[in-house]
Amino acid sequence: MAAYIEFKGVTKAFGTKPVLEGMDLAVNKGEVMFIIGTSGVGKSVTIKHLIGLLRVDAGEIWFDGQRVDDYSEREFEPLRRRIGMVFQSSTLFDSMTLAENVALPLRKHGKLRHADALVEAKKRLAQVYMDEYAERYPAELSDGMRKRAAIARTLALSPEVVLFDEPTTGLDPVSARRIDRLIRELAEKLGVTAIVVSHDLPSIFGIADRVAFLYQGIVHAVATPAELRASPDPIVQQFITGQSSGPMETPGF
Amino acid sequence: MKWIENVGAGAIRIAEEVGGILLLTWQVLRSFVPPRVDRQELFKNLHKMGNRSVPIVVLTAFFAGGLMTLQTGPFVKKFGAHALAGWGAGYAVLREIGPILIALMFSGRVGANNTAELATMTVTEQLDGLRALAIDPVRFLVVPRVISMMVMLVALTVIGDLVALTGASIVGRAMLDIEWATMFHSFADNLKPYDFLHGVYKSLAFGGAIAVTSCYFGVTVRGGAVGVGKAVNAAVVAAAVSIMLLDFFLTYTTG
Amino acid sequence: MKGPRKLIEGIGGGLVDTSRAAIELWLVYVGTIAGIIRGRRGGRPRGEIVRQMYSVGNRSVVFIIVTLGFIGMVMTYEACLQLQRVGIADYSQVGSQYIKLIVSDFGATLTGLMLATRVGAGIAAEIGSMKVTEQVDALRMSGVLPIDYLIVPRFIASVVMTNMLTTLGGTVMYAAGGLTAQYSFGVNPSLFYDLHLLRPRHLALMLIKATSYGAAIPVVAGFCGLRARGSSDGVGWATTAAVIGSSFAVIVLDFVISAGALFLFGGDL
Repeated sequence: MAAYIEFKGVTKAFGTKPVLEGMDLAVNKGEVMFIIGTSGVGKSVTIKHLIGLLRVDAGEIWFDGQRVDDYSEREFEPLRRRIGMVFQSSTLFDSMTLAENVALPLRKHGKLRHADALVEAKKRLAQVYMDEYAERYPAELSDGMRKRAAIARTLALSPEVVLFDEPTTGLDPVSARRIDRLIRELAEKLGVTAIVVSHDLPSIFGIADRVAFLYQGIVHAVATPAELRASPDPIVQQFITGQSSGPMETPGF
Repeated sequence: MKWIENVGAGAIRIAEEVGGILLLTWQVLRSFVPPRVDRQELFKNLHKMGNRSVPIVVLTAFFAGGLMTLQTGPFVKKFGAHALAGWGAGYAVLREIGPILIALMFSGRVGANNTAELATMTVTEQLDGLRALAIDPVRFLVVPRVISMMVMLVALTVIGDLVALTGASIVGRAMLDIEWATMFHSFADNLKPYDFLHGVYKSLAFGGAIAVTSCYFGVTVRGGAVGVGKAVNAAVVAAAVSIMLLDFFLTYTTG
Repeated sequence: MKGPRKLIEGIGGGLVDTSRAAIELWLVYVGTIAGIIRGRRGGRPRGEIVRQMYSVGNRSVVFIIVTLGFIGMVMTYEACLQLQRVGIADYSQVGSQYIKLIVSDFGATLTGLMLATRVGAGIAAEIGSMKVTEQVDALRMSGVLPIDYLIVPRFIASVVMTNMLTTLGGTVMYAAGGLTAQYSFGVNPSLFYDLHLLRPRHLALMLIKATSYGAAIPVVAGFCGLRARGSSDGVGWATTAAVIGSSFAVIVLDFVISAGALFLFGGDL
């Protein structure tokens, strides 16, 4: 059986700086796949390719039996309704309240009228325990709150796949574990496939089904968390135990 | 030989920018078919842009009208030709100075602000956020802004023309002892409805140019706070050049 | 009761803010003058004025030629068109009146407005970016006065370059106007390029105007840049405020100086 999402030999460079150099990765339907690696290794870049926010230099990307990397911007629109993304910086719209933010995809794609969309948006916010802040603007809230609202906005379109870009980075441990639980629930209750970019070790070992370790432009290893922990690979060991010295080469240090 | 390189690089950059602006114009026009504009965004922008620009435009128009009367001053004083003041000042205000000065101020206030807002959205990835929600940023953000700016600049030019003529009359009364009635008759006898319309339809074109240039530099910004400042700077310069070019072509082609 | 009270509070708050801003603007101006007197003791780097002259002057040349060239063509066209409409097909006065108007007002004022856009926005963007990235605080920590370091060189460069660009812009306007009159209305160039109405007082007025605009733009723009707060949105706001503030300063200065000149010379202007 072909994988649900598949990256085949994906190559991407920014200017003269290569980021991905023939990366391969397959993700199965319904699993929670983590992409881990050091900063700047191309984790976020990888997932942005899937919904066409970035374009590959070479290689192919397949989703649900379709090749998608050569789609036009217009062809990507239906795809983006099936694959949602939660950005690292939340990307809530500053000029709108939380409720208006969540209502936006509902009225644009769900064909709801503005007032109905706002009512529905409050229900969606309640699912992430943010309904009491529905009338607030993003700038008035903490990072964790913004992240939860951003998740509610992404889920408004009921996507089949959700891409999370560092969902727990910069959050306190309690908020981080709540986000983890939410991702796990999505997978188990709704069958949502999740691809999570992270270097937060408790998240990785807490909720991942499988982990892809990105190193020097390719997927260095794919394994379950337990296998990863037991891996004899010195580079993997250095990363998951967080040692400052070891065989890993990090540019700039 | 360094300067040849600089000139070449400058020419390429300008060509790129003109190309980008024309491409965005095309995308905006294409978004009108079918004509689905986000009403929330449209009304929000109309409200915001109107609110922000009315005070500065009224003040500018008042001074502009006054200045035009001052320019006729030596003539009026020397020859006592009071009736000429309204003709000269009114004609200059309605056809050229009014629309141009108001457009420049509108570009500085609303256009620059729009660039700053869109540029901030771009550097904080909010535009990618929109695309990830399968919403086209041009259709959702740019089109309502273009419509709002065109509508608002026309409205402001109509208001501004009236304020400017008032300013011209007040300055004429205060500095050149021209009676209100003389000034009024001078306007009424010498100015034709077409002079007024000429200024108004030019302002429609100016509004479109300001909107497209300010949006273009907002969505193509690169690099944090420094980039946002540079984008606003580039947008107001491009808007000023576009206003002058359009003014020239519209004046020539339509008289 | 709530409505009126809120309104009064709003007006009061606005007045306090405006007067505070006016005082700060005045302080920046005084600081700049003091900085010029202090000279290099204030920590101004060597060669900075020349660098700023390049950035204010040379990089505005094309912009000024294009904008003033086109507006020069339009103004002559409109003037001749109007004479034609009212049936006075005598264009002999157009050129001599036109150059008088350029020298005594339009040359300096339109150049000033264009520079308020380009240079004002540029200064605010630069200084605003430095402010929000805390480079201005770093200057202060190393014993350099931000006004001496940032605004004084731009002030001197702007005063000099506004005069030069006014001369350039006025010449371009005049030449473009002459070509338009010749090709669209058949006015003989020797009739158009006629300087007999020009007096030294018109040139003095041009110098006074160009110098005042050149002085006002960097002070207003620098003031807006130094007030920038936050991050990218703060820089955006500062740049916007600088464009509006310096353009408006040019218009008001033009009004005041023109009114003063008319008061002084009357019909002889």
